[in-house]
Amino acid sequence: MLLLKQRDQDAFGYLYDNYSSTLYSIILNIVPDRDLANDVLQDVFVKIWKQIESYDNTRGRLFTWMLNISRNASIDAVRSKGYQKSQQNRELTENMYHAGGSTELNTDQIGLRKIVNKLKEEHKVLIVLSYFEGYTQDEISKTLNIPLGTVKTRMRNALIQLRQIIK
Amino acid sequence: MDLQAYIQSGVVESYVLGLAEDQEVVEIEQLIVQYPVIQLAIDEFAIALEKEAFENSLTPPGFIKQKLMAELAFSYKNNDKANPLMIAYNSQNENTTGQYQGKSSTYWKILAAASVILFFVSAAANFYLYNKYNTTNNKYTALLNERNLLQASNQVIQAKVNNYQLATAMMANPAIVTVQMTDPSLKENNMTTVFWDKSNKKVYLLTNKLPLPGPNKQYQLWALVNNVPVNAGLLDPTCTSLCKMKNVDDAQAFAITLENKGGSETPNLGQLFVLGKI
Repeated sequence: MLLLKQRDQDAFGYLYDNYSSTLYSIILNIVPDRDLANDVLQDVFVKIWKQIESYDNTRGRLFTWMLNISRNASIDAVRSKGYQKSQQNRELTENMYHAGGSTELNTDQIGLRKIVNKLKEEHKVLIVLSYFEGYTQDEISKTLNIPLGTVKTRMRNALIQLRQIIK
Repeated sequence: MDLQAYIQSGVVESYVLGLAEDQEVVEIEQLIVQYPVIQLAIDEFAIALEKEAFENSLTPPGFIKQKLMAELAFSYKNNDKANPLMIAYNSQNENTTGQYQGKSSTYWKILAAASVILFFVSAAANFYLYNKYNTTNNKYTALLNERNLLQASNQVIQAKVNNYQLATAMMANPAIVTVQMTDPSLKENNMTTVFWDKSNKKVYLLTNKLPLPGPNKQYQLWALVNNVPVNAGLLDPTCTSLCKMKNVDDAQAFAITLENKGGSETPNLGQLFVLGKI
């Protein structure tokens, strides 16, 4: 860890070798386009490299920290204008919910999608929209036309279910 | 507070996954400080999540690492110091060969950078020295020219001094007869002097004042022996001081006439310029 904070080259290579696959899978869960996912992965490691000094290991695991960087970068990439435009040609249907989206890449069998797919449909939708697509509970409530209170309750239940699956 | 209920409420999971709302984050971070059991629950879920994520992972294409390492190579340079920690890390790690490869490529980069810098320094030094050489060479040529000029003028002066010495020696020599020659008509103040060494018969002429001869004309010296003019030589127009003339065995007077170039057998007395008796 100390070596990483000193921005040691070898330590960083080691970090990449150990975590790139896992983070790549998470990125693919959110960014189905492989070329874009490749760019995001590279971007994520540049961010890790630059921000490693700000990582505080008393406040959470390194993986959790990197996972959150990957998730945020992926959601940003998908929401970027360029990507939205390229997707308009592909998806004429509503582009918010492609949980069953095995059309582009079979990414629902890798990363965290595999666990999420084990959830009941009503829970899955919430996790997909919030975790993989980055919508707030308020936005989900409006999109799915479900009261915010119900969204909150279902979300908590979904998370509890999720924990039980991975335990 | 019912900690178990709180932990079971899903807030731990939403915190780890980054789904918690700001207010929830503040709340849980305060509670962590108070109740270490919450931290344990967080760690437990995070570890489980990590394990799950590792199990279902997909290896990214190899070129990404290469691109990434190339992109970060600039930042490495500043931090690539071999410190004790680094060495300890290397010796513990099994992948040492790969890691040393990374190191040595950095050394090569430094070496390459150093040789490029050396090349430029050397080029600059060459340029500087070449300029200096040119300047010095020019100065040397100028000095050489100046030296040649000085030598030439020195030779001229030396010749003059020699002439004066000779003239002085002749005037001091009792064997030498000095003959002042003037215009016999006394109209012009033309004047020459003959120095005649009776011991060795040598004759020298000093032109004090004579008009410049016209083109194809030349002054000729005559020695009058028993009133008969004997050729004593032509006056060399390039001779500016004491001029050596023909030897004269005997004479009672000397005269100079202006003759056609190359001289005459007999003097043109109509053109008698100066005359001097001994």
